Amino acid sequence: MERNEILKHVNEIFRDVLDNEDIILTETTTADDVEEWDSLTHIQIIVAVEKYFNIRFTSTEILSWKNIGELINSIADRNVA
Amino acid sequence: MVVNSFSFLLFFAILFALYYFAFNERTKLQNWLLLIASYVFYAFASIKAIPILAVSTIVTYYLGLRIAKYNDSNPRAASMLTTIGVCLGIGLLLYFKYLNFFISSFASFFNSVGLQCNAHNFNILLPIGISFFTFKLMSYLIEVHRRKMDATTDFVAFATFVAFFPTILSGPIDRPDKFIPQLKAKRTFDYNLAKAGFNQIVWGMFLKMCIADKLAVYNDSVLNSYSFFGGSSALFALLLYPLQMYADFAGYSDMAIGVGKLLGFKIALNFDYPFFARNIAEYWRKWHISLTSWLTDYVFIPLNIHFRNWGNWGVAISIVVTMTLIGFWHGANWTFGLFGLYHGLLFLPLVFGGVMLKRRKLKLNSWNLPEVRYLPAMLLTYVFVAIGLVLFRSDTLAEALCIFESLFGGQFGFSWCGNVIPILLLILLFHDLHKAFNFCPRISKLPFPIISSFLLLLILFLSNTSTGDFIYFHF
Repeated sequence: MERNEILKHVNEIFRDVLDNEDIILTETTTADDVEEWDSLTHIQIIVAVEKYFNIRFTSTEILSWKNIGELINSIADRNVA
Repeated sequence: MVVNSFSFLLFFAILFALYYFAFNERTKLQNWLLLIASYVFYAFASIKAIPILAVSTIVTYYLGLRIAKYNDSNPRAASMLTTIGVCLGIGLLLYFKYLNFFISSFASFFNSVGLQCNAHNFNILLPIGISFFTFKLMSYLIEVHRRKMDATTDFVAFATFVAFFPTILSGPIDRPDKFIPQLKAKRTFDYNLAKAGFNQIVWGMFLKMCIADKLAVYNDSVLNSYSFFGGSSALFALLLYPLQMYADFAGYSDMAIGVGKLLGFKIALNFDYPFFARNIAEYWRKWHISLTSWLTDYVFIPLNIHFRNWGNWGVAISIVVTMTLIGFWHGANWTFGLFGLYHGLLFLPLVFGGVMLKRRKLKLNSWNLPEVRYLPAMLLTYVFVAIGLVLFRSDTLAEALCIFESLFGGQFGFSWCGNVIPILLLILLFHDLHKAFNFCPRISKLPFPIISSFLLLLILFLSNTSTGDFIYFHF
């Protein structure tokens, strides 16, 4: 799957979990840019992303992400179809 | 040497003059000066603990450099060094703060099951502020390992971050990725920042000397002799205690942040009007923010990630563990642990009721104060907090239970009511007006010398002749 396509799906997951249709993610978006994105909803998003792409992240990589681009790197590294 | 004392004023005046006149814009010299001043300040508080502070700083600095070096080339070694560094920090806390507690708890347990065991307590020095500076050391290593910041090669800046005198005794717990870059930047006198800092110091002094110290006289008398006073007086003191705690601790935090601003630093926020919280989750987002955010980042989130497929149960376990640790952080006593557990359990209805995930914005009125409709929820939260503080204040569980019992017995009527009423009026003013003062355009237009002079006059006329200890110095 191309990065743009992954970003599109991740954006949909964010809108769904955070219940906000106005969210527009870019690769540089961080938790500071999305009001509803806090330590609790972060975990909800991760669970939803793992379920959608049928993948499993390690704790170390989840804790190391600085922005959406790094989350997409982790998804792309797993060659999701 | 406390911040609201004459000796500190003299100490700070000398430092301030050297900092901005002799060493202005010379960052390295300013940092050296801050480092020396911080160690002198710490020596006044706990001179025997200086080697512990110095050695733990040196070890952490070198571990940080090694972790950064191995992060890419040998991730396993980097993880191992981070674990060693974090274990050293936890080990320092366990040894200096909790060893005697563990020994006496084990001895009590063995005696209770019929095995004779004599506890021998060690005479261990408790370095003041150890709970604050070890947390700084550990967060530095974790942040470097997580690649959220580069390891600093400037030892003086690093040591100054750890020992920074306004915050070493009682916080706020600054984060290395926010504070170390400030130590590396050029610092000249900033009038607006200094003005805000001066205002904040005066405000902190007012909270401590006019509110906390006054309330302490009443609360200590009643709660230390609860069996004599009992009934409504004990209940009244119990309801006042959160305000005393707030005025004491937020007062110190304001003074520390203000002193930091006078030196050109932005220090982490520690309180955000906690009594406007509508539930316990909001309360902990507003109370001792630098500690709760530390434990959220390094305990709650990793636990929650680990239990992420357990749904609400995973969140509940992570919160209860984190809150119990927050309780024990305050001291080596089961009552502190129970205080944390009690708060953790208060989160459960919010977790299982879905309130945690749906944050409701606090709507403000034209004075920038919360709308009246939130009052019942805010009062209920306040009462829950007050109940928890009985555990916090008691030395034993039996004492806490006696205080609760005394609430429902004894004489009726308020003792020393006359002394407390003016303080209550001040409280009503200080908590609500401060928010309005900060955000309401009508009030914030007043020139700052008028507001500060008014507060200074209040301090002069209302403060006790002797200043009480800060409650959080004991942690």
